[in-house]
Amino acid sequence: MTALDDRPGTRRAAPAPARRRRSTSSALLGIWGALVLVFLFLPIAVIVVYSFNTGRLLTSWQGFGFSSYAAGLDRPVIRGAIATSVKAAVGAALLSAVIGSLAGLALARRGGRWAGLLTLLLGLTLVTPEIVDAISLLGWFVSLDSDAGLPLFGNGLVRLVIAHSVLSTAVVTFIVRARVSGMDASLEEAAADLYATPWARFRDITLPLAAPGVLAGGLMAFTLSLDNTIVASFVQLPGGTPWPVYVLSALRAALRPEIAAVSTLMLVLTLVSLAVVALVLRRSGDSATDVARTLTGGG
Amino acid sequence: MLRRLRAPHGALALPAWVFLLAFFVAPVALVFWYSFGEKPGLFGTHSNEVLSFARYGEAADATFLATFWNTLRIALLGTAICLVVALPFAYWVAVKVPTRWRGLLIALVLVPFWTNFLVRTLGWQIALSPEGFVSSGLQALGLRDDPLQVLYTRGAVQLGVVYNYLPLMVLPCYVALERTTASLREASRDLGAGRWRTLTSVTLPLAFPGIAAGCLLVFVPLMGDYVTATVLGGAKGNMVGQLVASQFQTAQNWALGSAMAVLLVVFIAVTVLVAAAVALLVRTAVRRGRRVDLPAVASARVPAPAGGRS
Repeated sequence: MTALDDRPGTRRAAPAPARRRRSTSSALLGIWGALVLVFLFLPIAVIVVYSFNTGRLLTSWQGFGFSSYAAGLDRPVIRGAIATSVKAAVGAALLSAVIGSLAGLALARRGGRWAGLLTLLLGLTLVTPEIVDAISLLGWFVSLDSDAGLPLFGNGLVRLVIAHSVLSTAVVTFIVRARVSGMDASLEEAAADLYATPWARFRDITLPLAAPGVLAGGLMAFTLSLDNTIVASFVQLPGGTPWPVYVLSALRAALRPEIAAVSTLMLVLTLVSLAVVALVLRRSGDSATDVARTLTGGG
Repeated sequence: MLRRLRAPHGALALPAWVFLLAFFVAPVALVFWYSFGEKPGLFGTHSNEVLSFARYGEAADATFLATFWNTLRIALLGTAICLVVALPFAYWVAVKVPTRWRGLLIALVLVPFWTNFLVRTLGWQIALSPEGFVSSGLQALGLRDDPLQVLYTRGAVQLGVVYNYLPLMVLPCYVALERTTASLREASRDLGAGRWRTLTSVTLPLAFPGIAAGCLLVFVPLMGDYVTATVLGGAKGNMVGQLVASQFQTAQNWALGSAMAVLLVVFIAVTVLVAAAVALLVRTAVRRGRRVDLPAVASARVPAPAGGRS
């Protein structure tokens, strides 16, 4: 994550008039900072450490070993859940990247009444409690499937892809909008003056310039979908349970170390995609603060 | 020329409109519609043959209201604790830590944010369980005689939600504090303000938008949260989200569940609006109280240096 370093020389250190008192308060703040970091990493460290537990129960430590990884990846139920999760995440990333990028371009280039309304609607999708999204999409999919006779919405994977895209389209839109409104419109105008067709202009100028935003947004959508539990647990269909929902149902039974092992693997997958997002954004000139804001969902 | 350039851009938003109308507006409208219906017999989930407000009356019964207050208490307390924990931390990262380490520290805060929250909560479940290492460690040190009994209490739920939403408070506070440049704080000190005065009159007011955004980002999802309470609070479910979920997943009474969900959304919206109004009023009052009338200063003699506010 060294790619997240801030730009050099944006700020100089403040002079210290009352050095002693300053250093006490600095020390106290430093201790507080360290404590907060320990607090933030404690449960994650616990999960990673306990994933190497060789015992039969997750909570009681037996010894160190990789048996839980082997056991977890050996079980068809777990393999199926991971496959469902990854498929749904890829689908949601593609769908929301397409829809969100186009909307982001439109919002960046054109103001007007509709743009404000669309921004509001996208903002609403971000603040609606997930439980409300979950129950409304469940009712809607059931109606479309059985009442309106559209068997497409009786497909578990289609449901997951659509539901996860509802949650992540706004994120992609805002990332792409931020990227495109920062770039010069004169390049597109020049292309238009040189008789490029709208499509050629879009393909050769707009899209390459927006590409880092599209890639970052798509990867964000991928990780959001990979992590989604609440909406997925409502819209999923039997036989197509994604990984987080499997964990949720496993909580009611006895917890086994396989859960921690596979969770650690999924964590690594998420962190790798986010590191790529950070790298892409840094390469295209964002500051560390901009990257952090993007990674918490647009803004 | 401009027209030719703009026309296609407007159409680019069309897929988003279609998608959001079909899979966000329509489903939410459907829930609103269901909330006026009823549960028809044992096996149906919803029916809108007879329309009434009866489900709202049914939803607002004593159990629901008690759960509601409990959820509100957990959410308000959780937001307050997050603010108290996150603000000094964000200040530390934005002001005290050398520039080149800041990106790394913020990246570290993002790691828990992006870990599946179920998994984080599971980590706490292991740590807090009566046979877990925290419990046995405390007993080995002689600080406790009996195993730890934190799990499945309200305290555990409170700890879990503070943990889960802390990064959402840290980041907006950090972004806001990062923008209050060092030169403003130096200017405040050069003009004779003490460190406490600089903090309360310069740094915190400038960071106010970030603090408000953080509170909003923590409070709203916290009100709708229910998985944390399910995992750490055990069978004694006491968050509104759990009530809504159980109407859909176990009781199969979609009409009642929809009415509860509508009440939850209305309640969150009202709370946020009231909080925003109060925050604005307080800010206006504080600004008015601190206002320095410039004409009066200009007509007075030049004030002595470092003499505080004239």
